[in-house]
Amino acid sequence: MSKSTAKIGKSYVLASTIISALIIVLVFIILVANSWQAVTEVGWNLFSLRWNAPSDEFGILSMCFGTAIVTLIALVLAVPLGILTAIFTSEMLPSKLRIPVKSLLELLAGIPSIIYGLIGIAFFAIWLQGFFQLQSGRTILTAGFLLAIMILPTIITLVDDALHNIPKQYHEASLGLGLYKYEIIKNTLLPIAKADIYGAILLAFGRALGETMAVMLVIGSIDKIPSPFFDVLSPGQTITSKLGREIAETSFGSVHFSAMIFMGLLLFSLVLVITLIAQRANKKRIRLYE
Amino acid sequence: MKFIFSLSLIAILLFSCTKKESINISGSTTVLPVISNAADAFKKAHPDVDIIVNAGGSGVGMNQLGEEKTDIGMISRDITDEEKTKYPNANFNVIAIGKDAVVAVVSSEIYDAGITELTIAQLASIYKGEVKNWKELGGPDKEILCVDKEASRGTRHVFMEIVLGDKEAEAPGADLVLGSNNEEQTAIVQSDAAIGMLSNAWLNDDVKGLNIKMSDSTSIEPTLANIINGTYPITRDLEIVTRGEPTGMIKQFIDFVLGAEGQNMVEEAGYVKINR
Repeated sequence: MSKSTAKIGKSYVLASTIISALIIVLVFIILVANSWQAVTEVGWNLFSLRWNAPSDEFGILSMCFGTAIVTLIALVLAVPLGILTAIFTSEMLPSKLRIPVKSLLELLAGIPSIIYGLIGIAFFAIWLQGFFQLQSGRTILTAGFLLAIMILPTIITLVDDALHNIPKQYHEASLGLGLYKYEIIKNTLLPIAKADIYGAILLAFGRALGETMAVMLVIGSIDKIPSPFFDVLSPGQTITSKLGREIAETSFGSVHFSAMIFMGLLLFSLVLVITLIAQRANKKRIRLYE
Repeated sequence: MKFIFSLSLIAILLFSCTKKESINISGSTTVLPVISNAADAFKKAHPDVDIIVNAGGSGVGMNQLGEEKTDIGMISRDITDEEKTKYPNANFNVIAIGKDAVVAVVSSEIYDAGITELTIAQLASIYKGEVKNWKELGGPDKEILCVDKEASRGTRHVFMEIVLGDKEAEAPGADLVLGSNNEEQTAIVQSDAAIGMLSNAWLNDDVKGLNIKMSDSTSIEPTLANIINGTYPITRDLEIVTRGEPTGMIKQFIDFVLGAEGQNMVEEAGYVKINR
């Protein structure tokens, strides 16, 4: 490669980076600009419990609560299952089977989220309704379950890669010391892979926060916090589901629209903060094997 | 060689972009079946026109029409004053293409257990959350699953106008908030103690329509005959809306819907023709 080709290559790569970064900045600016009207006109009432557009009440607290609970359920279900599965695929599976099994699990990640939503309302909600003897299977728990299945492949793949990338020396040294298999995994491998595992969990958290279609179909869309707040067997509402159902009916430039964009801004900022934390955690870790 | 290949590729791409005249229609899921079938038939007769039909609900239809994202809006209620002030330059032109009723529907198990008619006041008390169990209305001992609709849906506006007195009334007794007529129908079929509001054309074996018990104790059934003679209290016109007077292909399509073939499709969908 001549010197000028190298320069063109460098500027091309730089331009691509700048464009990608610019998109994030632009999205953020647009969100802030459009939510400004709601912040000035509704102010602190944005954090009330009542959402009733015709009477200009835009309280988003119920939606924030729903998002938090649904994501929490998804993480509680998916993280232990995901980490244990990843330990199995990276440590206990014969190496010949590892690639096919991993590919199969990664296939789960490729299923469009609307399919999960359809399976949710057609089968899963009905099953839950019968199991818990509920009026309707469209509940916060149903949404949490579906989200857990959706973020499982992400956790499995990332944690499996993290464990698999630990150099063989550590494994062999532990074997040489006479440790049992579970001791090797628990005391040697998992602590080394800890930072990557946290990164995987945060990534899955980000995905669960932003999932719209599947949650929208099964959560029941009631803009209220359930009566005892921990009653996950009642319908609720999340930020993404609310946006999915109502954004098309609001007219651009109205306070209603602005309040919805404000919710979107909250979600966007949360995902941004989580990603930044995940990256900082990665940097801080001392790479033992480099 | 590569140059000729890429040149021919670009040529093929450019030539395949033929400009068809296209009509965009969106809005009420109640009017959708009629317009969908009419669009298919119209496209067969006029192959140079492309008609794209979307749903979304009456509110979405008016929104998109006002913001000039669509050519024809479908609504199953009146245009609200807010929509008129939001889009002062839109010059909405309303054309009725059929008549329909909004029926209070219950799961077939409740209907078979004896609840076949309710008064408007009883419906109001269910949606206000005052009545929570079917046994309070003479039915089986099951909790009522009260299914509501999104606030901008035409079916809800018409229902709430009559039942709660205000088309944008809140329903504190609602247990689920759903969207299109299809989604609501699915929810009522899946439950055995549900009540909801649906267009007359969506009734079937699992979703039964209730009679309305009037104040003089007569029971009005939600049949096409009662919609035509006006005795069923919750009726509405099915309407399509354009910006200003329709011209060109849009006018031809609207004339088609109002003509004999289009009105037959209105009847086939389960509604009432507009010109009886």
